[in-house]
Amino acid sequence: MKGSNKNGKILVYALLIFGSLIMIFPFVWMFLTSFKTPAESMSIPATLFPSAFRLDKYIEVLGKLPFAKLYWNTILLVFFRVVFAVVFSSMAGYAFAKLKFRGKGLLFTIVLMQMSLPSQIFLIPQYQMVAKMGMANTIFALVFPGLVSAFGVFFLRQTYMSIPEEIGEAAYLDGCNQWQTFYKVMFPLTGTSVAALTIFTAVFAYGDLMWPQIVNNDVTKFTLSAGLATLRGMNTTDFPMLMAGSLLAMLPMVILYLIFQRQFVEGIAGTGGK
Amino acid sequence: MKLNKLSAAARREENWGWFMVAPTIIGLFVLNIWPFLQTIYTSFCEHLGFGKYKFIGPQNYIDMFGNTEFWKATWNTIWFCVLTVPIGMVLALFVAMLLNTKVKFKGGFRTIFFLPLVCAPAAVAMVWQWIFNGEYGILNQILGTNIQWITNPKTAVLAVAIVSVWSSVGYDAVLLLAGLQNIPKTLYEANSIDGAGKIRQFFTITVPMISPSLFSVLIMRLMASMKVYDLIYMMSDETNPAMADMQSLMYLFYRSSFVTGDRGYGSAIVIWTVSLILLVTLIQFWGQKKWVTYDI
Amino acid sequence: MKRIIRTSAVLLTAVLLLSLAGCGASDGKTHLKFQIWDTAQQPGMEAMCAAYTAQHPDVVIDVQIVSWNEYWTKLEAAAESNTMPDIFWMHTNQLLYYADFGMLADVTELYDDVEDGYYQNHFSEISLGNVSGSDGRYYGVPKDKDNGVLVYNKEMFDDAGVSYPDDDWTWDDLVDASQKIYDATGNYGYLAYLDDQLGYWSYVYQNGGYILSADKTTSGFDQPGGKEAMEFYIGMQQEEWCPDQNFFTQNGAGATFWSERGAMFMEGSWSLLGAIENNPHMDGKWDIAKLPKAPNPVSTPESLDQDGRACMSNGLCYATAAHGKHREIAMDVIKFFGTEEAQLIQGRSGAAIPAYLGTEESWREAWDKFDYKINIDCIFEQFDYAIQVPYNSASPRWKSQVSDVLAQIYAGNQEVSSGLDKIAEIVNTETAKKLADN
Repeated sequence: MKGSNKNGKILVYALLIFGSLIMIFPFVWMFLTSFKTPAESMSIPATLFPSAFRLDKYIEVLGKLPFAKLYWNTILLVFFRVVFAVVFSSMAGYAFAKLKFRGKGLLFTIVLMQMSLPSQIFLIPQYQMVAKMGMANTIFALVFPGLVSAFGVFFLRQTYMSIPEEIGEAAYLDGCNQWQTFYKVMFPLTGTSVAALTIFTAVFAYGDLMWPQIVNNDVTKFTLSAGLATLRGMNTTDFPMLMAGSLLAMLPMVILYLIFQRQFVEGIAGTGGK
Repeated sequence: MKLNKLSAAARREENWGWFMVAPTIIGLFVLNIWPFLQTIYTSFCEHLGFGKYKFIGPQNYIDMFGNTEFWKATWNTIWFCVLTVPIGMVLALFVAMLLNTKVKFKGGFRTIFFLPLVCAPAAVAMVWQWIFNGEYGILNQILGTNIQWITNPKTAVLAVAIVSVWSSVGYDAVLLLAGLQNIPKTLYEANSIDGAGKIRQFFTITVPMISPSLFSVLIMRLMASMKVYDLIYMMSDETNPAMADMQSLMYLFYRSSFVTGDRGYGSAIVIWTVSLILLVTLIQFWGQKKWVTYDI
Repeated sequence: MKRIIRTSAVLLTAVLLLSLAGCGASDGKTHLKFQIWDTAQQPGMEAMCAAYTAQHPDVVIDVQIVSWNEYWTKLEAAAESNTMPDIFWMHTNQLLYYADFGMLADVTELYDDVEDGYYQNHFSEISLGNVSGSDGRYYGVPKDKDNGVLVYNKEMFDDAGVSYPDDDWTWDDLVDASQKIYDATGNYGYLAYLDDQLGYWSYVYQNGGYILSADKTTSGFDQPGGKEAMEFYIGMQQEEWCPDQNFFTQNGAGATFWSERGAMFMEGSWSLLGAIENNPHMDGKWDIAKLPKAPNPVSTPESLDQDGRACMSNGLCYATAAHGKHREIAMDVIKFFGTEEAQLIQGRSGAAIPAYLGTEESWREAWDKFDYKINIDCIFEQFDYAIQVPYNSASPRWKSQVSDVLAQIYAGNQEVSSGLDKIAEIVNTETAKKLADN
């Protein structure tokens, strides 16, 4: 029994390392490309290692884009998108999972409907809404399309549905009203799912390079991804510089992830008692 | 008397329900549903330019259904889903379980699996183009084959599907990991006293317990796969001789609406795609009763 | 954990409110937005703006870059809600769409107070063709011009004992040299990749064919000159010395050339400064030449008498919105951009070859910083027989359909001749539809 357990451990490590290699490869590629000369980065067949480790492209990109501004805008965007997604989706997810009200089926269909729609069809209408409000070229404009999250509602509804009914009933008997039951008893039980949704929403907000460029004009009102997109030339792209910039842009997201993945462990401690 | 009291409580519950979904529903309606209703209307119009439309009835649909390129794209899209969704789900669950075991450097491994999510799309494209390159690519070297992965009509969708699974496995694993973490450990403890094997444990405890998360990830992945567009755009371009065998419905839509300016036709493609997605989703919701457990 | 989140939330909200309150710089000056898509030309554009604002201290011009992939979506969305930038670049492919819809300010009379016939005196017919709406009026001030040249690897020519391309080179010489280079070095010869402006277009015109007739209403894809040229151009991929389209899609012709795996390819003048800068390893090994000419051009009433020579030329322009908020000042700025002074600044910065006649040579100065010299004279000489890139108001509609059929031809699913008939029909139908709509 002990032996097989040990073999199992080795297998788990082997699989994790194998998977990690596949997952980390493009990252390594980015890292190595960022030190290449443009000609090296385009060479055929492609080479893996740069001929020398030059830092010029990092210096160049730092001069070309206002990184401090871009970091700040990205942080604000991610923060507000996450807050809105978590608050509104938790409320709606709870209601759809645990409460009875007329029109629930129809309203939930709207949620599913939104998930099935391609985001490109919102681009121009949403731009016009922002323009009419006179809010183009602001941080608010960046946040705007993400004020609500249909996926978040659906995902958290699934989470609330898997929480046993008795917990809510017990709270209700203790004298909590619906809001208190939700806020004080149920919401804290969804910690890991909320953390997952946070990561999910943050990554989506971070990766979107189309919307910030459409709705905002100044590069000082762009996010990191949108700022980097302006480095792509129409005919030629300086890939080493793009990679150097992308690596710098990834840093805050990786740090954010490191903070939130810890929540997964705490999540166990929080719900383990039930 | 008793009935009345119940309905007062029920009414209160109803009010709370409406109140709690209101922000989401209002937001969705303004941001998404209203533009979609406009899309339905424009699918019956010819786009004259700059948002001016002329009503032409079902002509766009007639053109669309008579177009072989469109049917090919529909087939490509479905084939893409078949390739990505089942394999992607199984892999994501597998990765989530691996990341949930007690190992050293767990945080490190989790971070590595997260990296593809925040890698620059340009970097991802460069790497995979190099892997799939017909002349000098590493994949052909490993397999000892000579396949033009991206420009061969038979393998083009497969190549995109591989990139898709690779880039989505991290997302899905993060979401499933949350589901796994919600399983009380006491359940496993009680079960191992019974002497159940790991594999049985997986099917009797793990799968039922995370089936709600699994279901939400499945629906989302299916919808995302039906809407695939950016990966194709990233991996290839118009000069690819295999483009017709590779392009998805949303790729056609993007080209019609944003490149050619034929937004009426593009809208018709959207309506068709959304109908397909809703049909598949309905089937899923009907099928979930058989395998998703909400209460244990 | 919770406390950290709560504190940071409060802090962030406070800062956000501050940053919202802090915006809207009111320095009493007029702020203009100038939107472009090429980051490489930013310094040149900013230098021009600086020259303008030096004379007009009450104006501030911000050069803003939007990547090419998002540029047109953004501009169209802005046009629909009347929030276009004050000044922006226009491309020939899009100009007719915007101009015919009344989105662009008419600048025909912009220079009336300066000189009669300013446009005709200082810009070429092609440049003016690129800024003309369907009504024949001007909707932009010409910015630059370009053409495509033959880039070749001298070392490979030497190894194969072939003399370098000269002014009398024909397609036959191109084929001959390619074969000899392939035999001697094992490298590819001419890289005949699928592209319009940098590919088949010039071959069609060299051979007495045309893509669009002079009045832009009919297509010449199915005419003998065009067909023969297309068959020749597409057929080159059948030769052992030329890779097939699968190869080009995956590797790109430029990368193949600069990695010293191919001897020749057609490149746009706009890419050459970047090429010399990025490929120091090729110094001394490469040069450029005029495009080879057609050996026996077909002569029809429609064909231009070109003696087998032709190259395609395009040019951008500066435009402003028809109903912009700062229309008058924006008009004044683009008026300045069309003067000799501004075009010289643009040329010297290396951004592009200026459109203003007589200032073209200023672009040479951008080459001074490189020790290795290539034959840039041939670019200027080619303008003598350049042809305007063939666009009409229906081109956005037919362009991608044409490339679909071409992709099928390259894939071998469609025979060349019947495929070209199909293309001609697509172009004719879409053009007729557009003309009927107007």
